[in-house]
Amino acid sequence: MTARKSLLKVILLGDGGVGKSSIMNRYVTNKFDAHLFHTIGVEFLNKTLEVDGSQVTLQIWDTAGQERFRSLRTPFYRGSDCCLLTFSVDDNQSFLNLSNWKKEFIYYADVKEPENFPFVVLGNKVDVTERQVSAEEARMWCQENGDYPYFETSAKDATNVAVAFEEAVHRALAADDKADHLIPTDTVKLHRKPRSATACCS
Amino acid sequence: MAEVKPPDSRRCSYFFLYDGSKVRGEGDPTRDGICYFYPEETPLDKQDLLCGQLAGVGRCVSELSSSAVRTLRLRRCKFAIRMKEDLFWALGCSMEVPTVSVRELLDHLIDLFCFYNGSVRQSYQLNSKESLAAEWARCLAHVLSGPSELHCIFQSVRTVDLTNVDPLLLLKAALILQACQRCPLVLAGCVLFRGRVVSTQMPPQLTTKVMVHESDTYSKTQRSSGASTPSADGGPVSSTAVFLTPSELQFLQAAPVDKTSRSRFTPEKDASPKKTRLSRTLSDTPSLESESSRPTSCQSPEKAPFSPSMSGSEDSVFSPAPSQSAAGSPYPSPLSPVRLFSNGGNSYETVEGALDESHYHSFYSSEDGVSQIHSEGDGSAFEENLCLNGGASGGGATCGTTPEPRGADCGGDPLRDDTTAAGDVGVCSRKAEGHKAEMRQPPPGSCAFDSLEESPLIPMTLYTHRVNSLVLALLVEPCFMSDTASMEEVNHSSLASLNGLEAHLRAVSSAAPGAAGPYLFAHYDYIQSTLTTNVSGRPGGAPEHPFVRATSLLHSHFFDTETLQEAIIRSAGTAVYGTRSVAQETYFQQHGASMRNSGIPNQQDSAFSLPSKARHRLLKHGVNLL
Repeated sequence: MTARKSLLKVILLGDGGVGKSSIMNRYVTNKFDAHLFHTIGVEFLNKTLEVDGSQVTLQIWDTAGQERFRSLRTPFYRGSDCCLLTFSVDDNQSFLNLSNWKKEFIYYADVKEPENFPFVVLGNKVDVTERQVSAEEARMWCQENGDYPYFETSAKDATNVAVAFEEAVHRALAADDKADHLIPTDTVKLHRKPRSATACCS
Repeated sequence: MAEVKPPDSRRCSYFFLYDGSKVRGEGDPTRDGICYFYPEETPLDKQDLLCGQLAGVGRCVSELSSSAVRTLRLRRCKFAIRMKEDLFWALGCSMEVPTVSVRELLDHLIDLFCFYNGSVRQSYQLNSKESLAAEWARCLAHVLSGPSELHCIFQSVRTVDLTNVDPLLLLKAALILQACQRCPLVLAGCVLFRGRVVSTQMPPQLTTKVMVHESDTYSKTQRSSGASTPSADGGPVSSTAVFLTPSELQFLQAAPVDKTSRSRFTPEKDASPKKTRLSRTLSDTPSLESESSRPTSCQSPEKAPFSPSMSGSEDSVFSPAPSQSAAGSPYPSPLSPVRLFSNGGNSYETVEGALDESHYHSFYSSEDGVSQIHSEGDGSAFEENLCLNGGASGGGATCGTTPEPRGADCGGDPLRDDTTAAGDVGVCSRKAEGHKAEMRQPPPGSCAFDSLEESPLIPMTLYTHRVNSLVLALLVEPCFMSDTASMEEVNHSSLASLNGLEAHLRAVSSAAPGAAGPYLFAHYDYIQSTLTTNVSGRPGGAPEHPFVRATSLLHSHFFDTETLQEAIIRSAGTAVYGTRSVAQETYFQQHGASMRNSGIPNQQDSAFSLPSKARHRLLKHGVNLL
């Protein structure tokens, strides 16, 4: 098996105001700021993790959720290893928009096999008492759309944030392994023939 | 990348600092007084000769006229002169460079030195002549290192190509700076990308000085190793001691930033950082209730909030409402301008006034006496205006109220250089006679005077955080560097955005610049001190030289004659059109147009279509001449 990827790009997508920046900040700096301004375009932070004894740098890309920032954020979807689709449990519309976010990501990231791409779904703001989206609804959507893992998080009180990112890392690495496993089997055949042919000739 | 090139000999032939206090007796050799001489390889005899002559003439004339000498001519060289006590500076350029530019260069050079080294007299007491010589050389290299001759004529701040960058990214940069200011130890900052300004909260003069450190550290990291390339995480942070003039400090403190004076006195704070935080949300206004009731030690009513001019509209839109904070930030330092001026609001004014006056009596201008009259009248009127806005506020602060052409530049003093005036050049212009001095009033608190006159310099720290080609530079209180909590706060609030901004700007800048049209132009913005031009300034730019020369001449004329608004300067083959308003100067030359010029006034003359062509062509460069 080839060496594992040492840099994993994980991207947070979702409607404006669902708490993507807060989730990133909570995970990387363990801080929460209730007065964050809209993210403009994209931002990212790195965090180094140890996975199965090897160092992995997790690069978390936080994006602008507002429609008007679309052209700024979409060029940065490419090369993502995992996508965290985020909504807010107190905002039903943000939940309904998940499919659009998924579509946008697949289109701009130019994902070859969308059905195998690791998505993770986050329902943020579970600390809020008035929910509009139930956990069952969310799980149902995840199941129907490709059996994505679902986490109910709160950036404010740090609920499940780390767990969600760890899951994202595992999914990304697993997908990576799978790809490593698949691609060589295809290419090996192509490359071997000419090589053996030259060996014969000489 | 703002590389430091060796000084261009066209722009500077000589520079020296001479200390008269070292040469008192008849037998004292002149060379004892020479602190620094450029070019350093000049034979000592020649150094002696030049220093002795210029210092002697300068001293003599200033004693006779009891005013400072600002310019001297020696053969084919034009010297800008500065004198303070026993110190004597001279910067010599070729006659082609406008007098105003030479003076600005010298002022800028001295300011730059003082910014990084403190007052000249003191630094010579503390350091060796050799180490300070290296400092002068460094400053000189920077002052003269503009990419083109035009940058030498207009002392401009280099900005990113604004036509190429999404305005939202400029907003993003401005927000990063605002987020950093939530830490009370942070005064102001700027964001630079590849040696160019993306956003700044500081007046242009100060931004230029800050950029010197940035380009120095950049070239150092480039040289030292390719291996330790700055990574996006953490990024190399550096800091250096700097010195602000009281007016610069005043300007920075006048900006509408929500800070508590409390945390200044008790840096260990944590008293109520949450409450005093500046919301980054547009609609939010800072909560004032807890602080506004606090009596502040400073009663100065003058501190109207001003937006820093450079960050432009974003700032005025997104800055929070003016709060009590600006008025409530007295420094623990006894050097605080608040203390300086609160008990004698007029004292500074008087000093200024006296200075202005003396400025008008200069070597050349004393001939015509007109300027002198103006200096007094207009000076006082201006000072009044000033007083309303803040006794000693910096030049930049006045931008908010009075559109002043010489915005925040140094030494934009009103000396009229009659020696280079019209006469021998063919200027056909709609020029109204009648000199008025108010337009060229030197900016109050212009840094040139601060650094040289009585006002003490205030030590500060320049903190820089580099993310690849992007640099966040902040002016911070000296204690910031030892305050880990504050450092962490600033780092946390800015790192992700800096990473993102860097990624965005890198993507933008890879786009190739559009081909230059069949014309040359230069557009200078007084307020922001920015120059937009398609003149490349490459060594092989021979065809551009006439344009640069014409621009330089017209610039001098505009400076000499405030009422002059438009002018065309022409030769047999081509013509250059220049126009200016209170806020800008624009120059335009059309290539390839056949000049129908019979030598007598002719309606068919294509030179007369230049103004409309300029208006039309320059629109796409974001220059509006309508």
